[in-house]
Amino acid sequence: MSKSSNYLMPIFIFTAIVLTMPFWFPFLGGYEGLDTKILIWAIFALGFDLLLGYTGYLSFGHAAFFGISAYVTGLMLLHFSSNIIPAMIASVIVTLIIAFLIGLLTLKRSGIYFSILTLAFAEMFHSAALSMFQDWTGGDNGLTGIPTPMLFGLKMQEMTVYYFVAIIAIALFYLAIRISRSPFGIMLRAIKSNQHRLEFTGVNVFKYKVFAFVISAFYATIAGSLMVIYEPYVASEFLDWSTSGHLVIMSVLGGVGTLFGPMIGAAFMLYFENVLSVPLGEQWLLVLGIIFMLIVIFLPGGFVDGARKLKRKLTAKENS
Amino acid sequence: MSGQLINQIFLQVMTGLQLGAIYVLIALGLTLIFGTLGVVNFAHGALFMLGAYFAVNIASAMGFGWAIFLVPLILFAFGIAMERGLMRFFYDRPHTDQILVTFGLAIVIQETLKWIFGANNIPFATPSWGSGIVRMHEYLPFLEGFVAYPKWRLILIGVSFVTVFGIFALLQFTRFGLIIRAGMRDPDMMRFLGVNISRRFTIVFGLGALIAGIAGVFGGPVTQVDPEIGMGLLVPSFLVVVIGGMGSIPGAVLAGFLLGMTLSFSAEYAAIQNIIIYLVAVVVLLVRPRGLFGQKGLME
Amino acid sequence: MAILDVHNVSKNFGGLAALKDVTFQVEEGTIHSLIGPNGAGKSTLLNVLTGLLAADEGRVSYKGTPLTEISPHEINQLGIAKVFQTPAIFPEMSLLENVVIPVLAARDGDFKLNFMETPKGMAECYSYAEEMLNEVGLQDDRNKEARFLSRGDKRRLELALCLASKPKLLLLDEPTAGMARHETEQTIELLRKIHSKGMTKVIVEHDMNVVFALSERISVLAQGQIIAEGSPDEIKGHPKVIEAYLGEEQEEA
Repeated sequence: MSKSSNYLMPIFIFTAIVLTMPFWFPFLGGYEGLDTKILIWAIFALGFDLLLGYTGYLSFGHAAFFGISAYVTGLMLLHFSSNIIPAMIASVIVTLIIAFLIGLLTLKRSGIYFSILTLAFAEMFHSAALSMFQDWTGGDNGLTGIPTPMLFGLKMQEMTVYYFVAIIAIALFYLAIRISRSPFGIMLRAIKSNQHRLEFTGVNVFKYKVFAFVISAFYATIAGSLMVIYEPYVASEFLDWSTSGHLVIMSVLGGVGTLFGPMIGAAFMLYFENVLSVPLGEQWLLVLGIIFMLIVIFLPGGFVDGARKLKRKLTAKENS
Repeated sequence: MSGQLINQIFLQVMTGLQLGAIYVLIALGLTLIFGTLGVVNFAHGALFMLGAYFAVNIASAMGFGWAIFLVPLILFAFGIAMERGLMRFFYDRPHTDQILVTFGLAIVIQETLKWIFGANNIPFATPSWGSGIVRMHEYLPFLEGFVAYPKWRLILIGVSFVTVFGIFALLQFTRFGLIIRAGMRDPDMMRFLGVNISRRFTIVFGLGALIAGIAGVFGGPVTQVDPEIGMGLLVPSFLVVVIGGMGSIPGAVLAGFLLGMTLSFSAEYAAIQNIIIYLVAVVVLLVRPRGLFGQKGLME
Repeated sequence: MAILDVHNVSKNFGGLAALKDVTFQVEEGTIHSLIGPNGAGKSTLLNVLTGLLAADEGRVSYKGTPLTEISPHEINQLGIAKVFQTPAIFPEMSLLENVVIPVLAARDGDFKLNFMETPKGMAECYSYAEEMLNEVGLQDDRNKEARFLSRGDKRRLELALCLASKPKLLLLDEPTAGMARHETEQTIELLRKIHSKGMTKVIVEHDMNVVFALSERISVLAQGQIIAEGSPDEIKGHPKVIEAYLGEEQEEA
């Protein structure tokens, strides 16, 4: 059991990093606003880890929640009001209902079925957005012409957007840590460990799976909404399988199950895509894909696990 | 029934078979690999893509005939290498890891092809002996007037049938097939009896890749040849496997052609057509979770 | 009073009749063993009792409540716990966490959306879990990951898991399977020790030492049917039982 100081430490560190990021991040290269984008994907990956890292269920369809939320936010900003609050609320309601339904349908089966079906559902929404609903979504071109998002008179641009996202990120990280330390979190880890035994210990495993799924979809929803607030444009690519794929890659790279890891993975991947792609050119994803495979094969615990192992080796050397 | 209606239905059936043919070939390999090794190969679409890229390059360099001969062999070798060099280290690892590593491989293959050949599609012309149309009305008396169908699509349909029957014959009539079928039911028993099931399963993996190669050669001219088609075909093929029943070969074949038919006959309702396969999958899974021919309890 | 009432239960697999009209009762607070040669249907019967399989005919009642069409987690919430043939525990979690899970399940029911609850709220649960570990002698390893335990210790952990949910009925599926002599002795001792809590136990066993050391009542299953039932002494020399086992030996020979 951890003492309170133990669990608040990561939150303090995270808060410190995040609040000061706009000051030191420019030194690392990358365009202005990249730090905001990294935070948004960190939120996305954090929620994903609550599903994959805790229950062990690998969803290839989280792009659906990201994208649907983005479209709803965009449409609300476009047609209803440029105030972001009703837009975000609408996104959450719509997307979570859809997530709940998808969870009910896909979580009854094994993990393999789940991975395939979530991929399929995401593709279904992608297809629908490009065809059936293109009058609403703008089809291939995406949703354009969205006015500058406002938070009750405050324009959401540059620093304002960054700190808005930062505060939400800190709050959601805190929530994730609370979840991980709760009885609910213990049950999720038990699902990954031995679902069968858990069922026989009187636990309604299905309900826990569905709620874990919805909670992780909630994070995706917030991320999608924030993405539109950050950059008032919804690309149809938000619903593409590659969005889900990138999420999987960054989470595994960072270290599944550690909460911190996938966020580091998000930073790493976005940095790779936007900064290291200059020397690497178009092949950045190829290099990342190879790194990904190496991690899956040799270091499945990701960077965080690698850091831990390194630390152990170094302290062992000191002791001997 | 008016002659026009018969013509129309006939053409829609042909289109259904042709659309289904590629899905059947890809799903066949997927379900074969899953049924024997229990592996869900997220790289299978990429294997098709490899086949198509090899085919288009060999065809332009040496002629289409060489592509037909070489590509399946190349893919067979690739499949064997993939199984021995990568997959066999993952049999003891959780299913998620298998999915992750094959997914990673799919990305690497896709990006490598993009790097070498660019992101745009490569034109893949049908060979002269396969181009043009066939005057169907000259062979089928029930057709009225002039009814033509592209020759290459007929060839594609034919190839898919031949491949399906080939696999069927291999499994039903050979000793190898017998061992594979027994191994699909109970691999541990086979090992216990001293049968080297691992080596044979490796060959099956190669076969799955080979079939993807065949699909790439004959399907390549029909679909685009670009780095996105791999994943684009994988999702529907997965659903075909799931609808047919994971590990069931007749299921994959039936579901594949059924999907093709559904797409063909729903072409007028363009809006629905895009998502029809997902709707069908959802309905099937709600009503009969194991799929058409799946084994009960396998995936529940 | 009969805590478990099995009445005319039949189960078929394809053409094979695994259970044929099985009827017996288990008295509350007793240790009741189920024995029989291989293939007699013991595992099938146990799976029917725990909700894994549905009986084709007949019914199973637990304290009057029918056990059909109930999911495994509901069966456990009713007060039935099961020890599996291969110890079923949570390998990646610490021993303490392993045992706190059933305590939480007993406290919160089959589902509770308590994701904001702090570890402080679980302090009582954790101390009860520690008590359970003490019962089975595993308290020193409480922070160890369960996968590092020996098979015998895993079995003890599993018992702690089951005890933690305070079951009224404990089902044990070949608890000493694959154990060495001394481990079996330890298991018998442990089972005897926890029996004084007044819990009913149904043990499916192969090892006759275990059966005769612990049981108050024995039912014998052969080819899907109950062929004999009684006290250990009654069963020892029972002609039908000897016949059923001899028949098995002849097949093995």
